[in-house]
Amino acid sequence: MTPTEIQHALGGFPILTLVTFIPLAGAIVLLFVNSRSTGLIKGFALVVTLIDLAFSLPLYTRFDRTTHLMQFAERHEWIPSLGAQYYLGIDGISVLLILLTTLLGAVSVLCSFKAIEERQKEYYVSLLVLQTGMLGVFIALDFFLFYIFWEVMLVPMYFLIGIWGGPRKLYAAIKFFLYTLAGSVFLLLGILALYFIHGGQTGDYTFDIVKLIYQVKLTTGQQFWIFLAFFVGFAIKVPMFPFHTWLPDAHVEAPTAGSVILAGVLLKMGTYGFVRFNLPLFPQASQSFVPFIALLSIIGIIYGALVAMAQDDIKKLVAYSSVSHLGFVMLGVFALNVQGVSGGMLQMINHGLSTGALFLIVGIIYERRHTRMIADFGGLSKVIPVFTVIFAITMLSSIGLPGLNGFVGEFLILVGVFQRSIMYAAFAVVGIILGAAYMLWLFQRMMFGAVEKAENQNLRDCTAREVIYMLPLLLFMFVIGIYPKPYLSILEPSVANIVRQVQVDRTPQAAAQKSAERDMLQRAVSPSAAQEQAPSRLAGARPAGVAGAGASKAAVPVAGDGATGDAISPSSGAPAVAAAAPSLPAAAGVPQPAPHRQPGR
Amino acid sequence: MELTLPIPNLRAIMPELVMTFWACLVLVVDVLISKERKTWVGYLALVGTLVTMAFTLPLLGTRTSTFSNMFLVDGVALFFKFIFLLATALVILVSLRYLDIEGVNLGEYYAMILFATLGMMIMAAGNELITIYLSLELMVISTYVLCGFIRRDRRSTEAAVKYFLLGIFTSAILLYGMALLYGLTGTTNLTEIGRALQAKNLGANPALLLAMIFLAAGLGFKVAAVPFHMYVPDVYEGSPTPIAAFISVGPKAAGFAVLARLFLVSLPAIRPQWGTLLWVLCVMTMTLGNLVAMKQSNIKRMLAYSSIAHAGYVLIGLVVANEIGLASVVLYMFVYAFMNIGAFSMVILMCKRGDRGERIEDFRGLARSHPWAAIAFLVFFLSLAGIPPTGGFIGKFYLFSAAIQANYVWLAVIGVANSALSVYYYFRVTMLMYMSDPSGEIRLTLSPSLVFALAVMVIGTLAIGLYPSPLIAAARASMAPIFGP
Amino acid sequence: MDLSFLFFYLFAAVAVGAALVVVLNRNILHCAMALVLMFFAIAALFLMLGAEFIAAVQVLVYAGAIMVLFLFVILLIQIDRVQMLRFAHRQSPLVVIIAVLLLAELLYMIIRGTLGIAPGGADAAAAGAASGSTEAFGALLYTTYLFPFEVASVLLLAAMIGAILLARLDKEEVGGVSRQDMS
Repeated sequence: MTPTEIQHALGGFPILTLVTFIPLAGAIVLLFVNSRSTGLIKGFALVVTLIDLAFSLPLYTRFDRTTHLMQFAERHEWIPSLGAQYYLGIDGISVLLILLTTLLGAVSVLCSFKAIEERQKEYYVSLLVLQTGMLGVFIALDFFLFYIFWEVMLVPMYFLIGIWGGPRKLYAAIKFFLYTLAGSVFLLLGILALYFIHGGQTGDYTFDIVKLIYQVKLTTGQQFWIFLAFFVGFAIKVPMFPFHTWLPDAHVEAPTAGSVILAGVLLKMGTYGFVRFNLPLFPQASQSFVPFIALLSIIGIIYGALVAMAQDDIKKLVAYSSVSHLGFVMLGVFALNVQGVSGGMLQMINHGLSTGALFLIVGIIYERRHTRMIADFGGLSKVIPVFTVIFAITMLSSIGLPGLNGFVGEFLILVGVFQRSIMYAAFAVVGIILGAAYMLWLFQRMMFGAVEKAENQNLRDCTAREVIYMLPLLLFMFVIGIYPKPYLSILEPSVANIVRQVQVDRTPQAAAQKSAERDMLQRAVSPSAAQEQAPSRLAGARPAGVAGAGASKAAVPVAGDGATGDAISPSSGAPAVAAAAPSLPAAAGVPQPAPHRQPGR
Repeated sequence: MELTLPIPNLRAIMPELVMTFWACLVLVVDVLISKERKTWVGYLALVGTLVTMAFTLPLLGTRTSTFSNMFLVDGVALFFKFIFLLATALVILVSLRYLDIEGVNLGEYYAMILFATLGMMIMAAGNELITIYLSLELMVISTYVLCGFIRRDRRSTEAAVKYFLLGIFTSAILLYGMALLYGLTGTTNLTEIGRALQAKNLGANPALLLAMIFLAAGLGFKVAAVPFHMYVPDVYEGSPTPIAAFISVGPKAAGFAVLARLFLVSLPAIRPQWGTLLWVLCVMTMTLGNLVAMKQSNIKRMLAYSSIAHAGYVLIGLVVANEIGLASVVLYMFVYAFMNIGAFSMVILMCKRGDRGERIEDFRGLARSHPWAAIAFLVFFLSLAGIPPTGGFIGKFYLFSAAIQANYVWLAVIGVANSALSVYYYFRVTMLMYMSDPSGEIRLTLSPSLVFALAVMVIGTLAIGLYPSPLIAAARASMAPIFGP
Repeated sequence: MDLSFLFFYLFAAVAVGAALVVVLNRNILHCAMALVLMFFAIAALFLMLGAEFIAAVQVLVYAGAIMVLFLFVILLIQIDRVQMLRFAHRQSPLVVIIAVLLLAELLYMIIRGTLGIAPGGADAAAAGAASGSTEAFGALLYTTYLFPFEVASVLLLAAMIGAILLARLDKEEVGGVSRQDMS
């Protein structure tokens, strides 16, 4: 088998274990602290998240940007009788999400110091446990482990909403829990099906995600059903259009930190799942689901934006804007080309930063006025200038102003989607315009005009603590917006690999063909953004040769290059030229219009 | 006529002998001990279960039979015996204080528990219809008495009468099914019944089908499967709480042991027919149990319906009925012993003289006043709902994976949907505990034995969830004698 | 036609008829007496099969001991105060349907059963005849079926203790009962 991971950059130092479990260890220690010493509890929680953040930095600095293989991997036996391992590792897809999580973890602790006044110990314990769960989801490379983190994370979030939430917290908490759990149990069935299909094919019963992705062969029917099971699990989490109803409730009721984490990290798990699992595991199903998912995403984008426009509660507005933004991400991911998927991935980070910041802003203003109604504000720019600046930057980042991070992501997504279908892109643009409209309108209503309410006259501006936790978010908005290359280059190899995978025919009939393709992949140069055109020509030349060999073989059996040709032509039962066609985009990693791919199947 | 008495393999029935001896010992000691020190009898009984466990240990891995092949020592029997003994030990631990509160601190209580356990142990090991029937009666008669143990309480008496009447009725049906099997094959030995049925090639003979239905009905009552579940909520509600915990685990597990052995060893000839029958029972049991549990306001009734639903999950393993399927049954019952007795123990914790602490509302704000108790309850509920990292998740995971592997995809889908559904009522209690303010002062009945038992159950539930490997391996190994070479 | 057939049908008819009386009669004393009659009829059937021991046990234990106990209980609880329960209630249509279905299946089974299978085969029938005698029965009980025999003894012990336990009244608990009755 081809290698799936590269050598550990830190010489086997269990950094991923540390990053994942430091918050949990902190939470356990915190359990034994007297619940009345709140100062100690806050300080300790902050220190734990900062240590975690510090430990996560080497993941970025020591990351090998030249490969899509797994890095910093740790692998230990866990439940051998099930084939479940303790297997951690990261690649370009997960590394940024991990950094985002550790960053928002520290921010969410810091932003809760004033907002949370009762049952503080339980609160910070929940936050820390939640962080371990979220990090685990991004780091786990074993389906069993992944699923455990995936579910464990629900419990502390449920408590965050249910205990420290707003007036309708109980309803929102149970709705959140039931929705996501209902989705994830189907995910579990999908995982089990995959496990047994792979075990039956190879005799190796394993939950190893990397092995499954590279080895399992699925018929079109199997792909369809398992894709659907995964889809339900992830789409509820994203949340995609018809499954989104839990989100506004959860966001509105959750405390500020809960909203920040919910928007910043939790929602990303759904899109992460699509990128990590659905695309490479079920390439044929992914292809055929494109119109369906694009439709749902577009509905989500436009519906989310329109509903956001109609809100008079700031938090609800931001919540619906999430539905719209995540629709963008999904649309980008299901463009199934490098630009679209990279854009989607980057936009996940951007949304985490900007929407996280928006929720923080809502929290800041709510702490002062104890209202979130837009109508209660107006003319704030004159009263609280620092706040206004922060809000303005965040708002502009959210609507995708060039120079800020949102623009880069949206642009890449649009480029990707455009290649897939002009119509999808057109709808997406409408969404962007609507997004700008409701955000600007919100800003205008809150910040400009005359200060009409007496309560708003003497609002206190942002404190140092508030500025401190907003600063890193604002900083990254600029950094990504002005110089996105490092972040794109870290995504590039992994995204390119996934886009290659999604072109591979995974049906058992194509098994032999696939192995031939993999040989070619190994020979192909790892494409990056700049090199993309070159290897595509290079690889494009190669399959052409193969196709030629196949074609000539169809006419006259040729002994020389027969091996590859043999593998291709009988597998599809179509003319050899057509059969060779799917291998062309597969090797190149370059998006092709859909019609080209269909006859290959 | 000359009689040559058979020389039994005493080593094989050593655990049962010890248990019988100890039950009698408890009875004798009970007479000698003064009324204030009856708790000692409880500790004596506890030691008895531990000693029996110690005598069961050396048998692990062996496979013999004795008494003309009527009593088997194999992996399945041994695994089930451990489940019974574990459940018994836990129930005794949580009973010690409870009996004081209810004012029924009688030594016979523990003797009856031991007799019931003895019945279950023989049920799991029995390979012959008469033996199985008699041991089953030993188990249920002891539990009838235990259900009605608080005689001043009308609900307890009512529970006992109800359990008794329905119990003897279904026992008669079970006996009828056994008689039919005997009539068809001329033997009462399970292995020979299986052989005879294969040899005669009866196919879907109506008499055989009727026997199958009667057996399923009789045992379905013991495992609390729908539609034989009617008694469960009333009996659990009325019985002393530790006994409700006991019958929700012990007799249920014993019923599954017999059901599995009977159907797999004796009736492989009509595998498709009983597969279908159990499929229907399984789906009905899961769904109805969960749906009705949502509406309960009494926590014991809620746990009763939840225990019905759990019987449904376990039936998945019997529908699948291959090695993994049955391994998942024993695995699940093992985990279930921890989490379900744990959940019932929380009710005991709330119980005071004159107030049995059974309203779900009573748990309002528990997390404020007693955070550790709330965490314990949370762990049990997470486990019952099948959420990781708890043993309940591992159990359900294994059941569902057995179903998927054997291509019972719809069964697995219905199972997970039910599992998601069940979260609603478990979390309703969690919500009251954590997210509502206490309506009054909550006083818990803490005693060292109860706290110790709770700690064992919480740690057990979590440990199985985090490192299930040994347990899974043991469950798989226990199935080897049936499915192995 | 064998004469034993005639007797078989005679006793069988008596047994069924008596059982019907037990179920249908409203007078509990009559029911009890009909039950005794049914036990005798069944004992006769056992006798015809050569199972003398079982027949004797049937008469001694059921017709003798158990029924006498029944009658005692009936007399002690003052029959006029016992409300005879009516069978008809809400669920009766369902009960009737299930009962009829079960009966149909039983009849079908009996008809098919006599045609399809010989119960047990010839050797089993012979064994049955031989084991019906008291001697053979005793031998079996102490050899092959020793284990169930032992289990039965434990079962009886447990049942006895249980019965005593439920029937015994402590002074303390008498107080408990009266308190509850008053409230």
